[in-house]
Amino acid sequence: MRMGEGNAPAAVVLRRVLKSFGTGAPAVDTINLDIAPGELVTLLGPSGCGKTTTLRMIAGLEEPTAGSITIGDEDVTHLPAEKRDVTMVFQSYALFPHMNVFENVAYGLKVARRPRPEIAARVAEALDLVGLGAYADRSVDALSGGQQQRVALARALVMKPRVILFDEPLSNLDAKLRLRVRAEIRALQRRLGLTAVYVTHDQEEALAISDRVVVMKSGRIEQIGTPRDLYTRPATRFVADFIGSANILPGTWDGAQVFLDGIGFAHAQEDLAPGPVSVVLRPESLRPGPSGLPATVAAISFLGASTQVDLETAAGPVTALLPDAAAAGLETGQQTRLDIAGGGMHLLAGGEDAPQAAPT
Amino acid sequence: MHVQKTEAVMAEARITASPWSRLTAAPAWAGLSLLVWAVLPYTREGRRFLPLDYAYHAVAMGPGAHWLLAVAALAVLLLYLAGPALGLAPRRRGDLAFVTAGLGALIPAAGLLYAGVPFGWGAMLGILGMVVAAGAALSDGGRVRGDAFVGASILLMLLFVTLFITVPLVMVMRSAVWIDGTFTLVQFARTFASPLFLFVDNPYTEVAEGARVGMLGGIGAVLGLASGVRVSRRRTGLRRAGAVLLWLLGGAIAGWALGIMIWGRGALPSTLLVALIVAPSATMLGFVLALLGQRTQSRAVRGVLGVASVLPFITPPFVIGFSMIFLFGRRGLVTFDILGIPPAMNPIYGIVGVSFAQILGLAPVAYLIIRGSLNSLNPALEEAATTLGSSRWRVFRDITWPLVRPGIAASLLLASIESISDFGTPLVLGGDRNFLATEVFLALTGRYSQPEAAVYGVVLLSLVGLIFIGSRIMLGVKGFTTVTGKPASGAFLRLPKGLEAGLTALALVWFGLIAALYLAIFYGSFVRIWGINNTLTVQHYIDFWQQGWPTVWTTVKLSFYSAVPAMMIGGLIAYLVTRHRFYGRGYLEFGSLLSFATPGTVMGLAYILAFNDGALLMTGTSAIIVLALVFRNMPVAIRASISGLSQIDRSLEEASATLKAGSGITMVKVLAPLLIYPLLAGLIFAFVSAMTAVSQVIFLVGAGNNLATVLLLSWVEQGRLGRAAAMASVLILGLLALILLLLVVSRRVDARNRKKGKPA
Ligand SMILES: Nc1ncnc2c1ncn2[C@@H]1O[C@H](COP(=O)(O)OP(=O)(O)OP(=O)(O)O)[C@@H](O)[C@H]1O
Ligand SMILES: [Mg+2]
Repeated sequence: MRMGEGNAPAAVVLRRVLKSFGTGAPAVDTINLDIAPGELVTLLGPSGCGKTTTLRMIAGLEEPTAGSITIGDEDVTHLPAEKRDVTMVFQSYALFPHMNVFENVAYGLKVARRPRPEIAARVAEALDLVGLGAYADRSVDALSGGQQQRVALARALVMKPRVILFDEPLSNLDAKLRLRVRAEIRALQRRLGLTAVYVTHDQEEALAISDRVVVMKSGRIEQIGTPRDLYTRPATRFVADFIGSANILPGTWDGAQVFLDGIGFAHAQEDLAPGPVSVVLRPESLRPGPSGLPATVAAISFLGASTQVDLETAAGPVTALLPDAAAAGLETGQQTRLDIAGGGMHLLAGGEDAPQAAPT
Repeated sequence: MHVQKTEAVMAEARITASPWSRLTAAPAWAGLSLLVWAVLPYTREGRRFLPLDYAYHAVAMGPGAHWLLAVAALAVLLLYLAGPALGLAPRRRGDLAFVTAGLGALIPAAGLLYAGVPFGWGAMLGILGMVVAAGAALSDGGRVRGDAFVGASILLMLLFVTLFITVPLVMVMRSAVWIDGTFTLVQFARTFASPLFLFVDNPYTEVAEGARVGMLGGIGAVLGLASGVRVSRRRTGLRRAGAVLLWLLGGAIAGWALGIMIWGRGALPSTLLVALIVAPSATMLGFVLALLGQRTQSRAVRGVLGVASVLPFITPPFVIGFSMIFLFGRRGLVTFDILGIPPAMNPIYGIVGVSFAQILGLAPVAYLIIRGSLNSLNPALEEAATTLGSSRWRVFRDITWPLVRPGIAASLLLASIESISDFGTPLVLGGDRNFLATEVFLALTGRYSQPEAAVYGVVLLSLVGLIFIGSRIMLGVKGFTTVTGKPASGAFLRLPKGLEAGLTALALVWFGLIAALYLAIFYGSFVRIWGINNTLTVQHYIDFWQQGWPTVWTTVKLSFYSAVPAMMIGGLIAYLVTRHRFYGRGYLEFGSLLSFATPGTVMGLAYILAFNDGALLMTGTSAIIVLALVFRNMPVAIRASISGLSQIDRSLEEASATLKAGSGITMVKVLAPLLIYPLLAGLIFAFVSAMTAVSQVIFLVGAGNNLATVLLLSWVEQGRLGRAAAMASVLILGLLALILLLLVVSRRVDARNRKKGKPA
């Protein structure tokens, strides 16, 4: 067992994990995932892609149909939730409505029959950690959404789990609060050195807080990588499209230059055979200028910090995100050329109509 | 954070984990079984549970299957305590322990059953302990998804349902065909030929009843054939022939049944006829009341409906019939004093009276069911239809009616089953008519024929089964599944003015009747002899106090003893079937349905047959009464708990699990506090039903443990109406107070449920 290891953060390893709920396609289809101790990994993907199911299998709330799950060096595949050193923050918070804040946070420790003074000390500490020290006696009904969320967090943290799981913990908060709480969660996770698995369908949130992001689609893993990797070097069209926004245009690649509508742009990318490619252009890397891809301005929308300009090109419609200064001279209907800032381009094998590489 | 310190504490806790930590649920329960086996007498003598007579200790019994219990318990203990030394993977060990403990429970139990020796404390607790150990091992082996508590609960509930529902019912069927050690249908033949059961050709009348019945059967067959040919047009070949044949047969049986109901006499036609009158009438009345209750603006009408819908639950089932004697009997206020009908011509005894009493008693039940399905209607549907230009009548016909039809069907089903099962009303008002439910009783206690009673029981069970299947088909064909929608807000269309006035008048007449009947009881308890000597007196209350109160008090105690386990077992079964997947889940649900739908007299007979001798000997004790009431009323608790559980978000239990609480702890610390009001409601309902039960316990009561309703019934039968009225008044008022308490509580539930149950 894990005797003597204390509560050091643990690695989580999923091997060929499959979960199917009776008939139909499996909810999670044979995924492999290695999470290092102390790492925050985000599961990201569209609704119904199997994020929650994956998380629940790590928690022990669902049993995998096939495959194995290891936490630390213990095979927990068939262990129920209460026998794993894992806690979870639920999307609905799942605070016990008949207990106050203190009792909610103390629940796990009471179940573990810790001595009273220890419970009191650890609960106080956990509540301080989430900034709710003064709220111990409040009924959980009498808290705001953000406060309830923190109670849920404190309740999970107080157990000093080896792995902590978050299922869309911020989805019930308003936009401003979401930014703040996610920064707090990240800071706490770093400070306590917790292994964390975090589920979200908000790509910005995923990029902001993760060490690594796992992009899922229809129960399979599409790509795993650091936020920067995913953004600058998406492996598939789906990832390119899902992470940030992307213009994807057909082009040709000759090993040194990529041609869009016959106009060459210098580009360096290894391991890519010359031929037709899909060109991923990030909107913020496009600039109007004297040279580049000929384009006609179709629409201009002022967004505040930047201006979004929709353009028509021979290769297809393109969206550019420009600093206000750069957009100043543009008018609808105007002819211009689009230049691509260095590093703002990424090539995917296969042209427009090439079949998507099946993710493995 | 003082991480180091607490880590040290936890590490210490892990290191000190001694061999005791291997004593998990399975070996612990096996150990308890062993202890019980060693300390308590294994069997007993006769009906006395309590004395611990060591002449019946397992060791004193010599060699036999009972040793296996001890051996198996020891083996399970060893499997776990020897621990790693055996080199077994935990899951393998769990499986092995399950088989061992299972055999250690089964074989000794079989041994007792075979030998027919009544179990003692040692055998009972020992075998139960082994079942719990086997359940815990089932979870150790990973065979159920859940911890030892879940595994053990599943096995225990399966055992209880089998032992106290399935086995007794099987005994009824066995007893009908297994007479003097051989299989024979002779009792069926004899009963079916008996005029008590069915009597068609009356030689003293001029009409040839048999011929008429046959003719109706023929007409039915022709009609069935015609419909069958039309309905089965889409099928071909053999399947079509089969369908047509089925229709033909159905038509013939329906025609024949109608015929015997019209011209026949005997228990079968009487019962069918009453059910055929009562179910539609009560349902219609209930529907009308529900429609009115949902849409009337009049507070008075709503209040009346609220009160009246409670009454049948607190009234022993035959009391309406009994108070009808006061009003409409031979010396009844209405029939004799007002209308002047001579006693000999009184029409109330027989089909008319029984049907009338049952309609009054069942209309509120129908009201509640249909009101439920009406309430789940979305008013927006009706509003949408009106904006599309439908008149109110069109809306009703096209929208409302199709959507409440499942509620109507459910009400028809329940009303016909209740009518067929009713025992008290026919006994009080049946007159010279026989009924199936009373024949079970009369066959057993009057004619001393167990097989005959069993045949009547089988007939009743088959009828109930047929009704169930029939309603399935009816509902299945229509396929409406929208009854359980969420109640939506919005205003329902008002009823057309004339209709509302008509319905209100009907409701008031109905309520006036009910009020008169209840008042008659209260008044009847204060007059010396109703209709003959109308001087006021409290003598009946004095008599009741002296001769009835001790029985009432016993009943209160036994009802309470039965209500608590009924609620606990019901709550547990509700939890298991809603929150877990396991083999036997459907069986648990079916078992509780069986115990709910089986006519009370049949269940009573079943208990007599199953527990009157042999290993399970328990009749003549209060234990068997309590058990009968527990399993009779458990379905009510199941339903209350299921509806409570459905309001609790599962994430609460999951959160508890991720905080390392096992399911037992989760149940006690999370579910129970949140379910406290539904559970309380279940408890009170179980108690009230136990207090008003008659048919399922009438066979089981003895001299020392008579029950209030049984005594009340016997007083009515003996014509001690005043004393009976006094007792009925006390019972009704007492239970009414209890139900009012429940209503207050349920108000709070409604208010709280909006907040609780949903995770904060
Ligand atoms: N208990 C269940 N029974 C049957 N199917 C289920 C169950 N739970 C999930 N599924 C199915 O499995 C698939 C994956 O569900 P999952 O909840 O993991 O998605 P998700 O990625 O978390 O989506 P969302 O972002 O909407 O929360 C879905 O198609 C869902 O319908
Ligand atoms: Mg999800």
